[in-house]
Amino acid sequence: MNKMWAVLKREYLQAVRKKMFIVMTFLMPVLMVALFFIPSLLMVRGLGTKNVVVLDGTGELREAFLRGNASAAKKSGLSGGSQLPNLISVSYIDRRGDMALPLTAKPYLERMTQGDKRQKVDGVLLIPGEALVNPAAVLTFYSRSATDFLTQEKLTSMANRGLQRLRLAERGLSSDDVSRIMTSVKVDAVQLSKTGQKKKGGAESFMVGFMLTALLLIPSFVYGLEIMRGIIQEKTDRVVEILVSSMSSSQLLIGKIFGVALVGLTQIGVWLLLAGGAATFAAATASFAGFDVLQFLHPSFFVYFVVFFVLAYLTYVCAYAIGGAACNSEREAQQLIMPITMFMMLPWFLMAAIITNPDSTLTVAFSLSPVFGPLTMFVRTLVGDPPMTHVLLSIAISLVTVSVLLWITTKIFRVGILSYGKRPTIPELWRWIKVA
Amino acid sequence: MSEILAVRNVVKVFDSVRAVDGVSFTVRRGTITGLLGRNGAGKTTTIRMITGIFMPDSGSIEWRNLAAGGAAVRDRIGYLPEERGLYKQMKLVELLLFLAEIKGKRPAEMRPNIDRWLERFELTDKRDAKVEELSKGNQQKVQLIATLLHDPDLIILDEPQSGLDPVNMVLVRNLLRELKEEGRTILLSTHMMGEAEKMADEIVLIHRGKVVLEGSLESVRESFGHNTLHLDYDGDGSFLADLPQVARATIDNHGAELTLGDSGDPQKILEVAMGRLRIRRFELGAPSLEEIFIEKVGIETLAAEEALR
Repeated sequence: MNKMWAVLKREYLQAVRKKMFIVMTFLMPVLMVALFFIPSLLMVRGLGTKNVVVLDGTGELREAFLRGNASAAKKSGLSGGSQLPNLISVSYIDRRGDMALPLTAKPYLERMTQGDKRQKVDGVLLIPGEALVNPAAVLTFYSRSATDFLTQEKLTSMANRGLQRLRLAERGLSSDDVSRIMTSVKVDAVQLSKTGQKKKGGAESFMVGFMLTALLLIPSFVYGLEIMRGIIQEKTDRVVEILVSSMSSSQLLIGKIFGVALVGLTQIGVWLLLAGGAATFAAATASFAGFDVLQFLHPSFFVYFVVFFVLAYLTYVCAYAIGGAACNSEREAQQLIMPITMFMMLPWFLMAAIITNPDSTLTVAFSLSPVFGPLTMFVRTLVGDPPMTHVLLSIAISLVTVSVLLWITTKIFRVGILSYGKRPTIPELWRWIKVA
Repeated sequence: MSEILAVRNVVKVFDSVRAVDGVSFTVRRGTITGLLGRNGAGKTTTIRMITGIFMPDSGSIEWRNLAAGGAAVRDRIGYLPEERGLYKQMKLVELLLFLAEIKGKRPAEMRPNIDRWLERFELTDKRDAKVEELSKGNQQKVQLIATLLHDPDLIILDEPQSGLDPVNMVLVRNLLRELKEEGRTILLSTHMMGEAEKMADEIVLIHRGKVVLEGSLESVRESFGHNTLHLDYDGDGSFLADLPQVARATIDNHGAELTLGDSGDPQKILEVAMGRLRIRRFELGAPSLEEIFIEKVGIETLAAEEALR
């Protein structure tokens, strides 16, 4: 026990004294905040303005485009940031009765690919004259980037709303009635939980959920990698023989793993303190990017974060420890464990589906499964409202998983740590488990 | 003198190679035991089983009067592995404290000990330096301190001379003698027979995983008789090997060790040698360990193995 403690202490002190640790601890929150705010800033600065030329063969839609554009500009305040900023500056050209629109469009299309920057055109929308009368009429949108679907979508919606207005007006409705019909209702997303506490939902929750999950996942992998490096370093520095002649390999391994876990917890502790501070500040100033962060930084959040971080870390770290023990270079080790870590990361790749459906069968199954459990259950506690039995069951399953993984890892570690030969194959690793 | 360690018929197989194949020997308290053999004979594997790094596939390692329980025995051993290594990023003092701690010592109690050792090896001014900043010779000294810091009863040194500069070599030799006088037990593994001859009381000769010879240095040499001629001379002595009475010869630059055949007459050989060389030393005695080793294993076997390498 004392020896394990000595290893743990050494790992911890050596790690937290490194400059890299201090830099990461204070840089990471800055990066996260930047990730959150930069899109909003971009929007305010108007960096995303697109110059679009609309050639209207009907000659009736001027108002639709000018009005639509104005309301879009009004909305572009500092909000959420779930959508990238997309301001459109429309140059409306009335081409009523023009039967050869593509020909008329030609000089504009040329301005898309050449010409000086001040006259740059990002897109051209053609509305054929028959659009009002023929429901099958097709609008054509030329753009420089095929991926600019946001601009396309906005223009299409402006055109369609304009056309709908005109069609309604044709049926003899007054413009007031038309406006009333066309008004869309605002949806305020509120999440209700059994405890009666209200959470604001929507795109913002999605973003914050993603960010906090990344905050949990990234250190797990960073510190897993750190363990792997440490073990390989001990092998190349040949310290390992002194170590395993002085203590059992499980004492060494467990001491290392928990030493590094404490390093991770220290870092996360600093982050959570900073987040708590920022949230308190935000609450004081009553607005934090337009919504309430405090709904996430509930006391239970801190508990869940720490619990699920430790469980996730302990799960992932086993793969890295095996890689480190079995191989002699980082590259070899990465190759060996790549398939394992990829598999373990599965919930992360499905994160969008999990966050948007915290109560789906898939999410619940993942959260109660070994390996995927910690990350998925953390997301559920964050954006969903899982029953306490699920949470506890997930923790229990993870604890069993971690014990089994650690046991296997110790065995491989014992054989691998003194082997300097070529990288073992997976069947060879299996044999090591049986031998040790 | 009492036994401290008994190795009983241990076997260790790697894949299909029997690295250690039924090795038995004992180590007595207060002696220096030389574990001899060529590279790859099975010395390091044997030592790793003794230090608890490997478990023997069969056979046993038995401890007498060292300490009860596996964990405690570990703490009474000081081990210098063949592959040297230290945490390069750590400060000297921190490293030594850590290494003492994993031997079950309290860091606070160890500080005076560390200071004493550092002073003895003239490293006091380097105590706050990182290991990687030390010269290679100094790193070797640190490794030695790490082996001895926790006052072990049994000191196991695997090829202690490998990579040592001549100054440190002498330092190690004197240190070993001193430790022996203090009553410590030393197990010294080496492929340099000459070195073992200078140091060891007992020898265990291993070849291809098996013990081929065991006993006190004196008795071993005694049993190989006094029919070996040790010659030091100036000139080209290569003809000595071709003399009819010489069964086997090891010729160096300015010396030779000649094993005489049954009919060999030392005086005759001296006569011939004096005619062609300037003799500086002529001694009839027991063979050197090197010669004993060659005789025991067989020159043909050695040559065949050499060819396979």
